[in-house]
Amino acid sequence: MSTSGNYKQQHLIKWANQIASSIPTREDIPGQISAHMRQFWTSEMLKSLREIADETPDILDEDVRSALQSL
Amino acid sequence: MNMVQQFDPAQVDYSQDLGTPGAQSDVMVTVQIDGMPVSVPEGTSVMRAAAMVGANIPKLCATDNLNAFGSCRLCLVEIEGRPGTPASCTTPCSEGMSVHTQTSRLDKLRKGVMELYISDHPLDCLTCPANGDCELQDMAGAVGLRDVRYGMEGENHLDRGKDESNPYFTFDSSKCIVCSRCVRACSEVQGTFALTIAGRGFGSQVSPSEQQPFLDSECVSCGACVQACPTATLQEKSVIDLGVPSRKVKTTCAYCGVGCSFTAELRGDEVVRMVPDKQGGANEGHSCVKGRFAWGYAQHQDRITTPLIRDSIDDEWRPVEWDEAISFAADRLNAIKSEHGVDAIGGITSSRCTNEEVYVVQKMVRAAFGTNNIDTCARVCHSPTGYGLKQTFGTSAGTQDFASVEQSDAMMVIGANPTDAHPVFGSRMKRRLREGADLIVIDPRSIDLVRSPHIQAEHHLQLMPGTNVAVLNAISHVVATEGLMDDDFVYERCNKTSFKAWLDFISLPENSPEALAEITGVDAEVVRAAARAFATAGNGAIYYGLGVTEHSQGSTMVMAMANLAMATGNIGRLGVGVNPLRGQNNVQGSCDMGSFPHEFVGYRHVSDDTVREQFSSVWGVTLREEPGMRIPNMLDSAVAGEFRGIYIQGEDIAQSDPNTKHVAEALRSMECVIVQDLFLNETSHFAHVFLPGTSFLEKDGTFTNAERRINRVRPVMTSRTGLSEWEATCALSEAMGYPMPYESASEIMDEIAELTPTFAGVSFDLLDKLGSVQWPCNEQAPTGTPIMHKDAFVRGEGQFMTTPYVPTDERSTRKFPLLLTTGRILSQYNVGAQTRRTDNVVWHAEDLLDIHEADAEARGVKDGDWIEIASRAGQTRMRARISDDIPAGVVYTTFHHPVSGTNVITTDNSDWATNCPEYKVTAVEIRPSSEQRA
Repeated sequence: MSTSGNYKQQHLIKWANQIASSIPTREDIPGQISAHMRQFWTSEMLKSLREIADETPDILDEDVRSALQSL
Repeated sequence: MNMVQQFDPAQVDYSQDLGTPGAQSDVMVTVQIDGMPVSVPEGTSVMRAAAMVGANIPKLCATDNLNAFGSCRLCLVEIEGRPGTPASCTTPCSEGMSVHTQTSRLDKLRKGVMELYISDHPLDCLTCPANGDCELQDMAGAVGLRDVRYGMEGENHLDRGKDESNPYFTFDSSKCIVCSRCVRACSEVQGTFALTIAGRGFGSQVSPSEQQPFLDSECVSCGACVQACPTATLQEKSVIDLGVPSRKVKTTCAYCGVGCSFTAELRGDEVVRMVPDKQGGANEGHSCVKGRFAWGYAQHQDRITTPLIRDSIDDEWRPVEWDEAISFAADRLNAIKSEHGVDAIGGITSSRCTNEEVYVVQKMVRAAFGTNNIDTCARVCHSPTGYGLKQTFGTSAGTQDFASVEQSDAMMVIGANPTDAHPVFGSRMKRRLREGADLIVIDPRSIDLVRSPHIQAEHHLQLMPGTNVAVLNAISHVVATEGLMDDDFVYERCNKTSFKAWLDFISLPENSPEALAEITGVDAEVVRAAARAFATAGNGAIYYGLGVTEHSQGSTMVMAMANLAMATGNIGRLGVGVNPLRGQNNVQGSCDMGSFPHEFVGYRHVSDDTVREQFSSVWGVTLREEPGMRIPNMLDSAVAGEFRGIYIQGEDIAQSDPNTKHVAEALRSMECVIVQDLFLNETSHFAHVFLPGTSFLEKDGTFTNAERRINRVRPVMTSRTGLSEWEATCALSEAMGYPMPYESASEIMDEIAELTPTFAGVSFDLLDKLGSVQWPCNEQAPTGTPIMHKDAFVRGEGQFMTTPYVPTDERSTRKFPLLLTTGRILSQYNVGAQTRRTDNVVWHAEDLLDIHEADAEARGVKDGDWIEIASRAGQTRMRARISDDIPAGVVYTTFHHPVSGTNVITTDNSDWATNCPEYKVTAVEIRPSSEQRA
């Protein structure tokens, strides 16, 4: 996904996976990801991420997919 | 005792020159000055004590921001019981001393001294630019000099030439009395040591570096020498051109986050000079080349002072009246809102604007636009500071005041270049370092502090870009595993569960300096030595800049530094702390003012029902409870055709934000781009409405600097645009259906105080009374809070966070083998919109790429060659400069000139928590270029 039209999706995927790898305190990572996203992400971003998870689940970190269950 | 003569310390006018610095002592001594008793701290000079009771002793070589020197022999006094006539500046008061400042003997001696000075000084007072503002002239009057018996025919220095090389001041050696004030100011105040006295005896003269012109010397043009000069030897060219000022207004500099206080001196409506205010809490009378001299942009011919509109970005601009521009903008935004919903519009606030201007923009976006799509340029600089310090300490701000550094025993400077980017604070640091504090620099570059006159960093951890977290983890590993923690502090002040988790994590062998050395490029023993030095120094202070935050792990790094400070007990008192050096003048303030899409004013989340209802009640609207979009989200959505209108206050995102190609595409996609700024900038190429902004010299409001100090910004001259920026914003808001009927900036601050617990006590009246105040300022702290987290953290217990090192995706590869990092230099400021329109360009006419000799040689690049720089985001051209300030494998440049296109090549990598761009790491390749520009 390198064309400009895909920036939005491309970034959401990257940011979500980055949160999963970098979020401090490595316990209950899905819980922390969902808390972080709830605090900083718009509902539209979450909706888009869910769509990505539905269409191409493997592109997202497993913890991100788990986090989405609770969002 | 006669009541009229009673000394009242409260009546001392500290704005006057008391001759020598104050002494710090708990022991007071009482002396008689011309029969008047005065009690002063032990160590106070006789000259200062006399000035405090209004007995001003004539002086020339003394001034109260420099140590006493005792060379001019004008300040002689008589002391009962002591022989001779000692210099009052170098004589400390002692208990019971009785001093006479005016006797016939002293009169005769002083007159004789003045006669000698004047016999070798041009007698051109009437045409001298300092006429009426000259200490030599004043002192000649004070001692009653009426005649010079020696005539002017003897050997003298009157035919010495004038050095006019510096763009801002002249050096007329013929007027010099060799008092050494300029030399001492350069050494003691600025810490550059560019000036010296060359020659001996009658041949002595002030010399920049090795008798070079000022412009070619090591002088950094801070103006301290000009300020110190008691004659017209060092004189501002603006005073020579315009004459001695006739009125003064106190205000605050609008460049970096130090937030220096200045007195603007004017003739009529024209600024003649900016003089640093010695009572300014942030700068205490010092300045840098930008604040002192580079204010001419405010009157530059490029200023746009009339609103402009156009239907399409392909059309020419059309100058219109304010009403038409406001209606045009409101109609466009309302149309987008009606057709596509509130999420299709948003705004960006500026850290160059006042708190009041920022507040009304974010209020307009939340209340009139109806969305939380508000962000700020702090997104691209210190947003990780906001996140990291809030998580660990409970509030998004630095912990100390600037003066705290004077008590530091060890300073850890990470990813900051204070002598260039925060020069006035850099000078404070240098003073403390010369007194013996240890210095640890963590930076890929050999910044000025690593080695400069009388300063040598004991520890320079020259890490590879992108490995900050690994280095900090390694340092903390040493502290944790070598028993260097402050267990009492951790036990009493911090959350034990989080500490235990952190301790387990940081003690892992994988976090040892040895394990991380290959990744960081820093020898393990160097890391261990630095860790031991910091942990055992006594008072250890951390200062950091964008070299910390502008990384994919910027937020993690901020938390790692907070962990280290807590583990070593370096929080909550003078000399310690975690201190962000903010890039722009009001980064702290713009963040405080609710510019982030998830927070209202005072860092309170929009989902907090109580807070939201409070704002809804005062603002009279229903507010949304979910966060809005950040800048990168807005840009991505614009490219996707979903985000269509934006109000950009004082930020040039098309130049300053990363991957400018993407930014341009996003802006081009929008239907309504409103830019409010001083000049037509890169972003305005994509704008439909240009609302002319006001310079800091026209603003009325407040800035909040890096130490949380709220300073008044006072209108020095009338607005060139006819409206204050906040008035323009309010007009747009009203045109969109949400009136904000403020009468004044003061009224806006009153509303901020009403809605913000940490600002509850702030008002313009209080600021006018105290000069400035550091938040929190409320019932618990009515005069502000210089040091935070003294007895408890804002969040209660300090929270340790585990900080795993995650390498950035941006790595050197065969295609892009070098790592580019960016920064700024002393004479220029950010994208250069202001400084490029001043004479500061003589020091930096273009951005250059610094490259190590080995990397240059391998590519056939010579110093000064044009080169092409390519990254995966884009490519640009500039000239190369061979430099040993950077290690092989790393290249460095600045982004002050749009033509350089530095941000064409920076990528869209960003901090995991805040999306602050990773400006500091871009994999690039360079090659010689036959063409000369991008």
